[in-house]
Order: sequence, then C-alpha cells, then structure tokens
Amino acid sequence: MNAIEIKNLTKNFGEKQALKGLEMTVPVGSIYGFIGENGSGKSTTEKIICGLIRPSGGAVKLFGKDYTDADVREKIGVLIEAPGCFPNYSVWNNLMLQAANLGIENAEEEVRKVLQTVRMEGAAGNKFKNCSLGMKQRIGIAMALLGKPALLVLDEPINGLDADGMRIMRETLTGLANQGCTVLVSSHILGELEKIATHYGIVRGGKMIKEMTAEELETSCRTYVALQTKDMARTKMLLGCKYSRVEEDERGYLRVYDNTKPETIVAFLYENGILVNEIKTDKIGLEEYYIDLMREKEGTVR
Amino acid sequence: MDTSRDLQFEAPSFTKRLKGMLGVDFYRLFHTPLFYIFLGIAAIIPAMLIAMTGMAGPNGEPATPLFTNVWQAIAANTPIYGFEGIEKYANMNMVFIFGGIMVSVFIGHDYKSGYVKQLFTTHAKKQDYMLSKSLTCAFAMACMCITYLFGAIIAGALTQTSFAVNVGNLLCAILGKMVMSLGWASLYTFLNVIFKRYFGISIASSFFFGTGILVIGIGSIVGNTPILNVFLYGASVYACLSSSLLNVVICLVVSVAWACAYNVLGTLLLENSDVY
Repeated sequence: MNAIEIKNLTKNFGEKQALKGLEMTVPVGSIYGFIGENGSGKSTTEKIICGLIRPSGGAVKLFGKDYTDADVREKIGVLIEAPGCFPNYSVWNNLMLQAANLGIENAEEEVRKVLQTVRMEGAAGNKFKNCSLGMKQRIGIAMALLGKPALLVLDEPINGLDADGMRIMRETLTGLANQGCTVLVSSHILGELEKIATHYGIVRGGKMIKEMTAEELETSCRTYVALQTKDMARTKMLLGCKYSRVEEDERGYLRVYDNTKPETIVAFLYENGILVNEIKTDKIGLEEYYIDLMREKEGTVR
Repeated sequence: MDTSRDLQFEAPSFTKRLKGMLGVDFYRLFHTPLFYIFLGIAAIIPAMLIAMTGMAGPNGEPATPLFTNVWQAIAANTPIYGFEGIEKYANMNMVFIFGGIMVSVFIGHDYKSGYVKQLFTTHAKKQDYMLSKSLTCAFAMACMCITYLFGAIIAGALTQTSFAVNVGNLLCAILGKMVMSLGWASLYTFLNVIFKRYFGISIASSFFFGTGILVIGIGSIVGNTPILNVFLYGASVYACLSSSLLNVVICLVVSVAWACAYNVLGTLLLENSDVY
C-alpha cells in the first residue's frame, strides 16, 4: 500500500494553472524528498494533500482512501510554512490545544513525549512568540507528531535552521521513519535532504518529471574525474578539446564528466607537458543531479 | 508515532470532534483579554447612557435623562422596528453591534495565527468549525448581555432612576435578547468566513448588519409590522418590556433558524473554497 497516491492532479488559480496533471506515489515508511523550483507546485500539492486547498481535478488517495475522509485525516501530521500557533500562549499550551482538537485522551503525557522527540522539553513554558525560528520549526514538528500520525507532511522544515537545528531535525525525521512513519518533506536544501531521503520526486511546472529511489539516484548520478594541476588554464583548454564536458568547480578542481579513467587523463596531460598534482573520481550529488535535470528539461545541457 | 503495524482507521465521532473544538475555543475565549474588554464595554454602554444623561450640567442646568426608567435601557416598551429616537433604539440590542466586532477579532485571529490551517489539516470538519465558533461567540454575547444588565442597574441606582417594572415581562425581554445571541453569532461567524483574512471588511460588515439598519429601513417603509420579526434585528426588537413567554419562544425559533441557515451556508462556503 502507498501512503500517498496522486493521479492526474490539477489545480487552477484563476487563469494560472499551478498543477498540470501531477502524478505521485509515496510508499509507506519512506522519507520522500519533494524537490522543485519556487512556483513549481510543491506547496500547492502539499496543501491539497493536507486538505487546505481543493484540487481542480484528479484523485488523491492516502493509504488507499480518499484524502478527505476524516478517519484518514486523523493519521496525518502537518507542518506547512510556519506552525499555526497562538503567539501569546506558551509552547505547552499551544500543544495542549492541538491535542484537545485531536481528542487525545492522555494529552499531557502525549505532549511531553513529542516535546522530548524534538528535544524541546526545556522550552515548554516559553511563549511561542519568544521562540527562535529553529525552535518554532521544531514546535511545528511536535505539533504534527501529536496523535501518532502515520504520515507527516513537512513543507521546508529545515529552512532557516542552524547546523545543530538541522542535525536535530535530521535525526528526528530518520527516527520517525525507522518507526514506520511516512515522511513527505520538501526542501531547497538538497544536501540535507540527500542525507535522509529514501525516495525523491522532482516537480517542474506543475508536473512530476522524475520519481526515483535513493538507490536509483545513486546509479543515475554520473561519476566524474576531478583534478588539479599547476597550469589550470592550459589544462582546461587541453581537456576541453579532448572531452565533451569539462567544468571548474567551486573548490578550484577541474571536473571531467565524460566516461574516462584518471590514468588516461594523467597520461594525456603528461604527453602535453602538464603534471597532475591531485586527481580523484567522485559522483555528483542530488543537487548537481537536480541542476543537470533542470538544464536537460530546458534543453540547455552542454 | 504510528509504527509499522497495520494501520487502524477510525473516524472520530461528531461529539468527540465538537468537544475538542469547543474546548479550544472556550479556552481561548477565557484566556484572551478581548473577551473581558468587551464585557467591560457592554457594562459601560448603559451606564454612560443612564448616568451621563441623568446628571445635571456643569453650570447647574437640569438633567435631561434619556430614560425615565432603568429598564428602558434594556429594551423598548413596545417593539419599534423603525427609528423613533435614540432612546428607543439604544438598548441591549447594542450588545449585538459590539459583539460583532468581538467575533471578528476572535475569528480573525484564527486566520492570522495560522490556527485555521492547523485545524483543517486534522479530522476537523467545516461544519464543526462553524458550530463551535457560533456557540462560543453566542456564549460570549450572552455574557455581554448580563454585564450590560449589571451596568444598567448600577448606573440606575447611582442616578436614582425609576426601577418600576413588571418582573415577568422584564425577564422575558432579557431572556429573549440573550437567546438572540446565537443567531447573531452565527451571522458574524458566517461573515468572517466570507471575508477570512480581510479583517477590516469583516468588522465593517458585522457593524453594518449589527446596527439593524436594513430592518430599520424596511420598517420605515412598510411600517411597524410583526412580519419583521423573521429577521434577527426584528426578533431582537420584539424582545421588549411588554414581552411574554411567546416572545421568548419566537426569539428562540428565529435565532435557531438563522443560526442553522448561517451554519449551513458557512459550511458550504468553507467546503467549496480554499481554506488557507
């Protein structure tokens, strides 16, 4: 059974078509990284899944049931943008109010548990408005965890977090997935997403352009040879004549993306009077894969 | 967290859903200064009307009291649907004008804080939301009616205005006004659902309807006819100092009927539009 199954989803805002027949499948127990540019339709899709906006067409099923069914909605925890908390109430009171809305019987114990999960026990008495951005995001997660959800929908939960906040968030989400909770998480911070996601969906212009597992990403990501020499300008010129794609990365390495071996490149440069200082093979990450895919879709891949 | 065991789906009952939502709304009502401010305003209005107009001028001019009897600040002697002077208009019905502003602020905060977003991602149904807000705000307005009553009594005692009244009629009038709170609260909830985050328009529209200007206008054209009791303002006016139990029953029927209508309309609107 899939936690989320979306078929031919459309959504129009007046003249603007935000979703154009989006298809999506999120397996139970996965951490699904939902990726796309601003305005690609990620948030709209998430809001539809959460019941905040109505689709113009298509079908959304959660655990095999219609997404509007009250019984299935009880199994969903949500953090869309910022958590919906009353600023003048304490963190504890905000969570207790959400627990009351959910009809949780042993509310105090449950609230204590979710605060522990997001490591916010010490801040329970703080007014929500006095919490930092990172704390607010974690409170949002805690709120989403109330009622023991089977599906968590998180929109940009790591935005604005410091390194420690990101680590806590990463550990929290991985822990939840290990307990069987399905997590749909959108983020622009692809490096962080890559550390936790088991599945990916890449959306563009209101359509799903790629869905894959982390293993598929691993095999799809091309290897490259990165090298440094004393004469980088001439090296680039020489390699550029021989190979189809040579680029300089932000750390000052030249990258050769063609399917070749380091020893072949070393020999070629040696023949041309250049000694290689350092050479290694590596794989592109999610971020570069995503950028490549976007370029490919735009028809600008070199 | 739900572990990898087989998922059990169980739709929460209406009672469970409403109980949770009412719990939150009443908690918020009692823990916000807004409620107490409006209780205070409701008490001050009759006190000002009675005391200010009942006092002698700074140079010893004789007082020109608006009311010759304290209970005229609660309700008119007979139902007057058109406008026949401020003394027949300014009574407990004014609670419904200020109540509208209170409801707008209360519900507006749901949208501003994102509470609505958090709520509708759960099992909460739109009808529960309408009902919970209507009941909570009706309670708040009924409380305002009570503080209005106390304000009138204290001011009347201080200015030594007459308290002569038929107690039965007075109780029916007060009860009639209080049961109208439900209809008014439902109207204001509906208006706030229409205008959502347009807070200013919500307040303006609540104020517009709360003054009863439409019914007053119709009353001026068609005359003082009891047909106008079918409207919220008409039934509120009908709860007067000559009221009997029949007036209370009519107020109750009109209030509940409009509350049902506005709840259905509000639910339909929420169901057929994007919530957030």
